[in-house]
Amino acid sequence: MNRMPPSCREIEPDLVAVAIGEAAPATAQVVEAHVSRCAPCRHELSRYRAVEGLVGDLRRAPVPAADPTLARAQLESRLADLKSRLVSFGIFSSPLGPILIGRSEQGVSMVEYLESAAAASSRLARLAGAEAVENEGAADSLFRDVLDYLGGRRTRLDWPLDLRWTRSDFQRRVLEATSRLPYGAVTSYAHIARDIGTPTATRAVAQALRWNPIPIAIPCHRVIGSSGGLTGYAGSKVTLKQQLLALEGVPVAGGGAGHVERRAMYVRYLAESEYCVPTCGELPSTPLSELTLFGSRARAEAVGLTPCTSCRPDLHPISA
Amino acid sequence: MAEDAFEAVVAAHHGEIHRYLARVTGQASDADDLSQEAFLRAFRAYPSLPPGANVRAWLFAIATNLSRNHFRAESRRRRAHVAASNDGPVADTGRPEGEAMLSEASGRVERIVAGLPHKQRLAFTMRKIHELNYEAIGASLDCSAESARAHVFQALRKIRRGLHDLAIVHTEPSR
Repeated sequence: MNRMPPSCREIEPDLVAVAIGEAAPATAQVVEAHVSRCAPCRHELSRYRAVEGLVGDLRRAPVPAADPTLARAQLESRLADLKSRLVSFGIFSSPLGPILIGRSEQGVSMVEYLESAAAASSRLARLAGAEAVENEGAADSLFRDVLDYLGGRRTRLDWPLDLRWTRSDFQRRVLEATSRLPYGAVTSYAHIARDIGTPTATRAVAQALRWNPIPIAIPCHRVIGSSGGLTGYAGSKVTLKQQLLALEGVPVAGGGAGHVERRAMYVRYLAESEYCVPTCGELPSTPLSELTLFGSRARAEAVGLTPCTSCRPDLHPISA
Repeated sequence: MAEDAFEAVVAAHHGEIHRYLARVTGQASDADDLSQEAFLRAFRAYPSLPPGANVRAWLFAIATNLSRNHFRAESRRRRAHVAASNDGPVADTGRPEGEAMLSEASGRVERIVAGLPHKQRLAFTMRKIHELNYEAIGASLDCSAESARAHVFQALRKIRRGLHDLAIVHTEPSR
C-alpha cells in the first residue's frame, strides 16, 4: 500500500466503496476513470470485488452450529419468571410530594412516598425478588385515580391489589382488615388487633402498618392511637396523615402529631348496625379499641349504618 | 400491555440476534447465553424505548454491548491462560463446525474476520452480514457513523490483504 503513488492512495477508500456498492455515482465515475488508466488500481478493485463476493457467500452461508431453538426456549422461560416478579412503576409529582406507584400483572403492589423523584431511593429498588422496571405508562391511570382521590372526586381506589410483597401472614391480615375501614372513618391499632383475633398485638399492628406497601389504597391513615393521637404515618410523614384525614372530613386538631377530635365524631360500637353520638348512654364502653369513629353522619350512613334509636343522632346531631 | 408486544419482538428478532452473536463470538454456547441476556435486558428497557424507535438496531446495540463485555472478559481469561501455559497469543478463535460448507476462500475470510480487533469485527458483521446502516452501527459501538464506516473499510482492507496470495476468480459481484 505504501508503494502506491499518492493519487492511488487517495482514491483507495473510494475504490473500496465502489467495490462494495456504497459509492455515490460521482465517486464511482472518478474511480472508473482512474482505474481505466491505472492497472494496479484496476487489479485492486477486482480484488475488492472478489472480497465482496466472498463476503456475500459468508452472508448466505448458515452460521456454524448456531441453532437458536434451545436458547429461545430458555429465554421464554426466563422471561416468564421475570414477568412473574415484574413491578412496573412510575414516579409522579403528587400533592403529597413525589410518589411511586408500582403494579404487577396481578394488581397494584406498591405505593410509596419518596424523599426525591429518584427511583434509587425507593423501597422498591431494595425489594428482594422483585424486578422493578420503570414504565410510567403502566402506572399512569393509577396516578390519575390518586389525583381524583386527593381532589375529592372519588372516595375509593378500587384497585386489584397484589399483596405478595407483604412481610408475613400477620401483616397481610392487618392490611386486609385495614382495607375494610370506610372512607371518613378512623379506628385504633388496638381495634385492628382485636379484629384479626390478636387483641394484645397492638404494637405489632402498628409496625405492620408502618410497612404498608400500598398506602392510600390500603387506608392505614385511618388507624390511630387508642388515645386518639395520630401517632405516626409511613415513617415520619404524619402531616400526610393529617392531610388525608382532613380530606375525608375527619376533624383533626392539636400540635405535635395531632389527634382526632373524638367529641366531634359519631361512633359505632364494634360491629353494631347503628351509629351514635359519642355521649350516647347506650354505649357499653368507649375505648377506641372497640369503636369506629365517623367524621359525619353521611359517612356513617354511606356504609349502611342507621341512627341509634336511643341517642337519635339524626334528630340531635353533634353541634359544631 | 408492553409485555405482550415484547413477545412479538422476541419472535421477530431473536433468531437474527442469536446468529449475529454466534458469528461475532464464534461460539454457539456464547450466543445462547448472550442472546438470552440481551433480550432480558431489552425486556427491562422496552417500556422506555421511544415510540417509533428502530427496534432491530436497538437490539443489535444491546447485543453488541454485551458481546464487547464478553470479549473483555474473554481476553482477560485468555491472557491469564497464555501466561500460565505459554501457548502464545491465540489470534484465531477457530470454528471448525460447518466450515466445509464454504469454499476455501470464504473459510479464510471467516478466519480473518475472527481475528479482527473487536470493533472492526462487530462493525464488519453488522454491516456486511446483517446489513445495518452506519448510523445504527455507530450507535451500537458508541462512535460516529463515519467511524463505523472506517472500521468496516479497515476490516475489508485486512481481508483483502489476507487473501493476497489467493488466485482471484474474476466474478462480477452479485449486487
